[in-house]
Amino acid sequence: MKRSVKALTLGLALVASTASAQTTVTFWTWYLSPKFDGYIKDTISAFEKANPGIKVQWFDKQDSMVQDFIASVNLGSAPDVVNLNIDETQKAAQNGFLTAVNTLTSPATLRSTFYPQSLSNFTSAGNTYAYPWYGWLNEGVLLYNPDLFKKAGLTRAPRTASEMLSYAKTIKDKTGAYAWVPALKDPNTASFLGYFYAEGLPVTDGNGRAAFNTPAHASLLAQYVTLYRGGYVPEDAVRREAFQLATELYAQNRVAMIIGGPQALTRIKDTNPALYARTVVTQAPLGKAGVQTGGSMGLVIPKASKNPQAAAKLAAFFTNNANQLAFARVVPVVPTTKGAQTSTQFKTSGSDPVARATALVGASGRLINPGYRAPGNSDDLYKNFNDNIEAALLGKKTAQQALADAATYWNANLKK
Amino acid sequence: MQVHWRQSLMSYTFLAPALILLAVFTFYPLLYGAYLGFTEYNGARFANHLPPQWVGLRNFETVLGDPLFRTALGNSVKYLLVVPALQVASLAVAVLVAKNIPGIALFRAAYYVPVITSVSLAAVMWEWVFNREGTLNWLLRALHLTTPEAAFGWLNNEQWAFWAVMLVTFWRGFGYYMVLYLAGLQAIPEELEEAAILDGASAWQRFWRVTVPLMRPTILLCSLLSTIAALRVLEEVLVLTNGGPLNSTYTALMYVYAKAFQGFDFDYGLASAAGLVVALVALLLSALNFRFFHREEQA
Repeated sequence: MKRSVKALTLGLALVASTASAQTTVTFWTWYLSPKFDGYIKDTISAFEKANPGIKVQWFDKQDSMVQDFIASVNLGSAPDVVNLNIDETQKAAQNGFLTAVNTLTSPATLRSTFYPQSLSNFTSAGNTYAYPWYGWLNEGVLLYNPDLFKKAGLTRAPRTASEMLSYAKTIKDKTGAYAWVPALKDPNTASFLGYFYAEGLPVTDGNGRAAFNTPAHASLLAQYVTLYRGGYVPEDAVRREAFQLATELYAQNRVAMIIGGPQALTRIKDTNPALYARTVVTQAPLGKAGVQTGGSMGLVIPKASKNPQAAAKLAAFFTNNANQLAFARVVPVVPTTKGAQTSTQFKTSGSDPVARATALVGASGRLINPGYRAPGNSDDLYKNFNDNIEAALLGKKTAQQALADAATYWNANLKK
Repeated sequence: MQVHWRQSLMSYTFLAPALILLAVFTFYPLLYGAYLGFTEYNGARFANHLPPQWVGLRNFETVLGDPLFRTALGNSVKYLLVVPALQVASLAVAVLVAKNIPGIALFRAAYYVPVITSVSLAAVMWEWVFNREGTLNWLLRALHLTTPEAAFGWLNNEQWAFWAVMLVTFWRGFGYYMVLYLAGLQAIPEELEEAAILDGASAWQRFWRVTVPLMRPTILLCSLLSTIAALRVLEEVLVLTNGGPLNSTYTALMYVYAKAFQGFDFDYGLASAAGLVVALVALLLSALNFRFFHREEQA
């Protein structure tokens, strides 16, 4: 009897210890379900197989991602791995919500896995706060509608940013369609700063103070103001996100070009298959600086995570070269891993526009750079910057005045 | 005495579940929110598990000194113009659909549909109406009131965006208040109406001398509700214009929302202070409403 009780106790202890060895990691993605359920679930299964002691609970968040994150920290039930973009990662890091990933994975490993710029995008005050994940390039490719080009008497795509501006008038005057939709003031960011960066104009000085109020900056903004006020840019570009508007109008033959990544094509494929088949994919024109702007997602580990080590394992697994390349086969994203640069995956392309676009940009993850770093108090600074850009576009202020006012506000309200 | 005490206890026992729920979900958040208005409590303090820090009136100074908040509050007060328009229109239509004629239920339902339509769906629909190439411009052209060259997107125009969004608020609220008025109308005893007819009162006289006086409590309730709703307008502004162009549709609640819920740079202290200012304005306007209708009732 005594022996059986002992055996039972021992058995129960064994079961308990096995159960306690099992760690559950909560993983939040952002806008990936239901479209990419297959890829995410397969990758999670592979991870669990490789790490028998870790179980992954996956949730996909949409609109309320940041709010849910903050609420979960408050409730003491923070997720372990969270998918955030560059801007939100910077804000979360500045406010102390995140664990520096260079304390969980050696900096040498991070440097050997990811492009330097990708790590730099997620670095704040000397620490890296995310494992860089999939990305995109704003000037990755240029897609154009050959019928509208023909109607406008154009025989080739624009090769420079200034040529792009001149095409805007030609196309609108001859076809009635807009040439393209510039990202004048995308919500929750300060997209026009990207144009300064692309032209080689400084956005901030070394201390994060505004440096975008020179005559050269104003001259660039003035060119866009002239286009907008002349009716060469869709009116809605001051109110709606450029990418959304561009894909919508392109599919209706009301916009001739889209500058962006292959992801725009997947939408057009759904909304206007005939136009998709005719769409020409080519290199996008660059500004004077010859640089690309773009963004990427990252996987962060909240400071409130109860399993940072296991979380780091999962984040590193999802963002490793093999898994990023696998994701790029599912959807035309740009991997942020060094290995992608030499991958044969991006060396070939067929006649399909998405495949051609992916081949053009897939190995260019090293170029992903938003062109500006989210400053402290960025919500307020971006709002004021966008308000001033809008004031210039609507003729309420001169370009120079708008930028001077934005810079004054920026420097007065910048929280380090 | 004993019986009285027992009766009171029984009454409170029945009231207790509702009172507990109110205390937990209404009174406590309200009081805590008011307290936060006097504290510094932002993303950085929150993330580092630091409690709110008392700063007195500093948040109120910041909020009232912010030109954006003053613009927003001004827009919210201007938004109150929707209140009389809504009340007059919904009362008038309620009187019309109160008649028990065949097919009237269909009309009542049709007027109520916008109330239960999701705001995102409504936004897509109104986008089609207000767009440069939209229904409204098409209609104006058909009536020779504008030309294709003079057309503009109503939501992109700083003079008109405000009124366009207000029209959507009107459209969304109209059916709701109509139903409330309809309930009020159906509570009026028919004998009074009949007596007025026997006295030789015209329909117009019956409306002003019988219906309106008896509807006063309902009118007060609807005015109060729509005043508060107008001050708290957020959804349609967010989805249609995001406060633009040039902050012409940026409302006080959008300011509160931006400070409290837009990312990791949130500042609950400032948001609560701004919310308290809006609440004070709402209280003031409610008191004015009460005074006005109360005086009318005594006259």
